[in-house]
Amino acid sequence: MSQALIRLMQLVSPVLPVGAYTYSQGLEWAVETGMVQSESAAQVWIEDCLEFGAARLEAVYLVHMLRAWQRGQPDEAQAFDAAFLASRETAELRAETLQMGHSLARLLRDLEADSTRSLASFAEPSYPLVWSFAASAWAIPMEEAVAGYLWAWLENQVMAAVKLVPFGQTAGQRLLVALGRKLPACAAEALQISLEQTCNSMPAFAIASCCHETQYTRLFRS
Amino acid sequence: MTASLIRKLPEVSGTTLARDVHATGWRAHLALTFENRGGTTVLSRRVHLGPLRIQKPLYPEGPEVCHGILLHPPGGIAGGDVLEMELAVGQGAHAFITTPGASKWYRSPGMLARQRIELEVATSGVLEWFPQEAIVFNGAQAKTETRVTLAADACFMGWELTCLGRRASGERFDGGVLNHATHIEREGRPLWTERGQLEGGGRLLQSPVGWAGFSVSATFHAVHVGLESACLTACRAIRPEEEGARFGVTRFPEMLVARYLGHSAESARNWCANLWRYLRPALLKREGVLPRIWST
Repeated sequence: MSQALIRLMQLVSPVLPVGAYTYSQGLEWAVETGMVQSESAAQVWIEDCLEFGAARLEAVYLVHMLRAWQRGQPDEAQAFDAAFLASRETAELRAETLQMGHSLARLLRDLEADSTRSLASFAEPSYPLVWSFAASAWAIPMEEAVAGYLWAWLENQVMAAVKLVPFGQTAGQRLLVALGRKLPACAAEALQISLEQTCNSMPAFAIASCCHETQYTRLFRS
Repeated sequence: MTASLIRKLPEVSGTTLARDVHATGWRAHLALTFENRGGTTVLSRRVHLGPLRIQKPLYPEGPEVCHGILLHPPGGIAGGDVLEMELAVGQGAHAFITTPGASKWYRSPGMLARQRIELEVATSGVLEWFPQEAIVFNGAQAKTETRVTLAADACFMGWELTCLGRRASGERFDGGVLNHATHIEREGRPLWTERGQLEGGGRLLQSPVGWAGFSVSATFHAVHVGLESACLTACRAIRPEEEGARFGVTRFPEMLVARYLGHSAESARNWCANLWRYLRPALLKREGVLPRIWST
């Protein structure tokens, strides 16, 4: 096994201290209002978020950012970062990616993984921006990196569903098997898509996230 | 931009530009500039080609705000048509733009109908952009792109109202495509990007994260440097008439975004209009009086 693969496992691990487990991305509101009340409904919600959102937008930006870092073009990465942040549908989703980006940037600094201080010029980097920097610095192959990033997102969504709906750990693992099958194709596609072909228009998702901002009792920060 | 476009078009004036259904359909272009001249917002430049017009400017609330009504006499956009609009609001000018009725994207056997809207607002300028709803007919092939470019302290308020299919006659959006993109930027910094590819009968229409089975969607934007959290609280308390509609409001540092999903275009528009009626005095120190054309 290559050193790069080990680093990828470190980056996608749920113990990476960036607080991913505190975010549900609107799923908590969907459960609260009865839209998601079963394993099968959770599967539809997460699968659609993957297909219409994470894979069609976040993963594509990740690819563009990775290429910018690989070419040694932080200015390009910065432009992608600004465009990515403008695609966040709500204040909560924007705060989520900024908090995780900030935490990962601090971690990379503490690990002395940013020897060129490339991240220092970013006041508020998004999570994919910092993550792509790490993947580039650790020479993780592009397609594996993208699939890994989506895997971490998927695992986090499924774990949120396990806690919220709730259902058992085995059901959660069953969802990970089913939805995980889609990731290689999603990653391969993200490598081919231009930014003009990205999609982030999911009105009901955006409304769920808006409503979560004022949800009375909540476990999650998004 | 305009000059290069004129070279590409046949040399005919707007009203005589014949529709050639065998070739490319209507080609319409409208470029407008509003300027502040001594406290009055005037429509200082108007260039049009093809069937896209603006009515004589109106001043229902005094000289500072110029009200313009955009006209598109064909009433709808068919496959092969290209509509382009460029609107510039100069320094300190204030324009309010609307349309007399719904716009329509007609069914097309294959050719794409396209619309491109470029809105630019200079320092201290204000643009209020409230076209009535766009109805996407079943089988339409539509591509629409809106770009809003703002200077440092410019203000923009606007909405996009979209109806899929003609629900009154039982028509659903079972085929065709709506490709849409909206960008808002301030001084080169992107504030908002939304892109979508909505396929008639596609999974996104029924998806719980997509249109969730609804046929009407609205997105309302208010971009203003002085947007306070009190505005967000007040807007969240405004509820739509339609039972079962979904709606939500969020706020970024200088932008409020509100969204609606339902089946009633009227309810969607009224809800957005109520947000506007609250925000207009709060942000612009002007009363939000509904234009008469909306109630006809």
